Amino acid sequence: MNIISFLNILLPFGYAVAVYAYGKAFFADTPWAKSSKRWILLSVIGTHIVYLAARTTAFSHPPATTVYEVLTLLAFTTSAAYYVIESRTGNRETGYFILNIPFFFQLVSSLFIKDLLEVPEILRSNYFGFHVTAALAGYSAITLSAVYGFLYLMLYHEIKQTRFGAVYRKLPSLENLERMSVMAIWLAFFFLAAAMLAGVVWLPQAFSDFSYADPKLIGTVFIWLLYGAALAARRSTRWKGRKMMIVAISGFVISIFSLTAVNMLLSGFHRFN
Amino acid sequence: MNLLCLSISHHTAPVEVRERLWLSPEEIVKTLPETLRLGCSEAVLFSTCNRTELYAVTDGRLPHESLIRELIKQKNAGSVVHESHFSVYRGPEAAGHLFRVASGIESMVLGDVQILMQVKEGYQLAVNAGTAGFFLHHLFPSAFHTGKRSRTETTIGTGAVSVGYAAVELAERIFENLRKKTALVIGAGETAKLTAKHLRGKNIGSLTITNRTQNRADQLARVLVCSTIPFDRFRESLADADIVIASVRVDTHILTADDVARALEHRHTGALFLVDIGVPRNIDPAAGKLENVFLYDIDTLTAMVDENVHKRRAQIPAVERIVADELHSLELWHASLQSTPTIQALTAMMETIRKGEVEKNINRFGEKDRELVELVTKRIVNKILHTPIAYMRNGHDAGPTERLLSVNVIRRIFGLDHDNAKRDDDA
Repeated sequence: MNIISFLNILLPFGYAVAVYAYGKAFFADTPWAKSSKRWILLSVIGTHIVYLAARTTAFSHPPATTVYEVLTLLAFTTSAAYYVIESRTGNRETGYFILNIPFFFQLVSSLFIKDLLEVPEILRSNYFGFHVTAALAGYSAITLSAVYGFLYLMLYHEIKQTRFGAVYRKLPSLENLERMSVMAIWLAFFFLAAAMLAGVVWLPQAFSDFSYADPKLIGTVFIWLLYGAALAARRSTRWKGRKMMIVAISGFVISIFSLTAVNMLLSGFHRFN
Repeated sequence: MNLLCLSISHHTAPVEVRERLWLSPEEIVKTLPETLRLGCSEAVLFSTCNRTELYAVTDGRLPHESLIRELIKQKNAGSVVHESHFSVYRGPEAAGHLFRVASGIESMVLGDVQILMQVKEGYQLAVNAGTAGFFLHHLFPSAFHTGKRSRTETTIGTGAVSVGYAAVELAERIFENLRKKTALVIGAGETAKLTAKHLRGKNIGSLTITNRTQNRADQLARVLVCSTIPFDRFRESLADADIVIASVRVDTHILTADDVARALEHRHTGALFLVDIGVPRNIDPAAGKLENVFLYDIDTLTAMVDENVHKRRAQIPAVERIVADELHSLELWHASLQSTPTIQALTAMMETIRKGEVEKNINRFGEKDRELVELVTKRIVNKILHTPIAYMRNGHDAGPTERLLSVNVIRRIFGLDHDNAKRDDDA
């Protein structure tokens, strides 16, 4: 068994352990889980970096050419984005709700991923790698903002309805959840901008049938504009709290719809593939 | 263990008695040497609003009545305080009582977090006064450990148990950092004052008080070091407030849903947290239906408090188990300091070393000398042990603290608390 196959099997287990540790810390206050969960996650992210680097080196292309390669990349960007937000906000109680997502992505990826040596030359480009990585980081941030938005709404209703259960006791404050969600929206806004910029510069050169009417491009621009408008409104008006969280969740729903609809209707990620 | 505890608390005496025996840190420092003069070898004394307790190491012959009289005399409280107001605990019972106090299960507010700090302060005063010695230096850290375990391993200190604190706790579930928030307190009554104090305790960014009687608002503002605004103008500052505590006696709502909605239109910050602890209610309940407005009345907060008290009570058995566990450890430590087990352990250790060395080297001696080697080595060991064993058996002239200390020193010097395997290896 080579290193890639070994890490491919190891990673879902790693994410499962991280989810377990964050879950034990949240629901049972287990001391070992509270003290080690962050180190477990950091180790898994480190392992994932080695895995992605090993795949890129071994197959001479960025790991973003098939759905299952994209899924492992998405698992990585989601957990890395979560780690950044956790570090920036100092809040470590929401990992259980977030890390289930990369665990699921990585599990599916590990089960079905193939070692692909033969890919079109265009997909070996570094521009392509940057475009896809930035887009996936953006979608990961969208996912995070939606999860935080969802947790915000859960807590909002618990407090409003004066139901003081585990969600009330364990989750960060409403303001904190909103801050994490908004931080994720900023990350999404930034990464989607980078992905679109790279796409607009590179795609017309790489594909002769490139079209600005590509559904995914339109969907991404729409989400980007939605987030941009919401961020601007938040700064200048009363678009705070619940409204902002509804925007975060709406952006996620539109993204998922845009991704799945396009992938179901078209043969590839873009119409010009 | 010759430990004595004298306790006067809300269990044994009403507030008018307890307050007469409350001692300031200066008075404690003055009283501690007096207890030594009466015959105690060590003493720690602490005083809170609900209890005054003296922990003393005695020779077992000192009558507790003389210490009680001394405490009463120090405060000149003989006309109010009597011996019957005190509980007296001795030996392990006294240590167990201290552990229970440090855990918060003896407190008037069950699971009170302040008491552990107050016991620590009392111990520190005794350390500084030089009245805490060998035994109390072990007892009190054990009590702090028990208190810490009770709070980390159980939820005895979790959840607000007063209406004012419940309001502040709710605010902390909504806002990330109260230091950046502005609070407006409407009213200057007792509940408003307590809630405002809790907010101050959490370092609220800005606190403003308004009251129909300006004079009372000014008085409270001086205590809490905050500003006031005239009662007829408080609606103007509603838009700037993040937290509003309303507690005035009125017949109609002083804040309508329209007032709150208008304030929201002028706000650029997030949630507005309204606490209505007035009866009849001060704030129109319809305001709670507005988006990003969180309104709680006295019934909701009281229900929260009741539930938390109930949850804390359910934790008492778990805390009692921790107390029993820590008391068992203390008793084991104390038993190890008694002379008989120490003499036995020391003799056994020396014999193990002697036997080991003899067995290792016995082949160097001829058959006829081997019996002599056994005899000589036994004599050497006995002679080495004679003085320390004689001291431990007959050194009763020393006080209890000195005797415990010397036994402890012998155990440390000879490593008697190490496990047998390690001892064998070392040997």
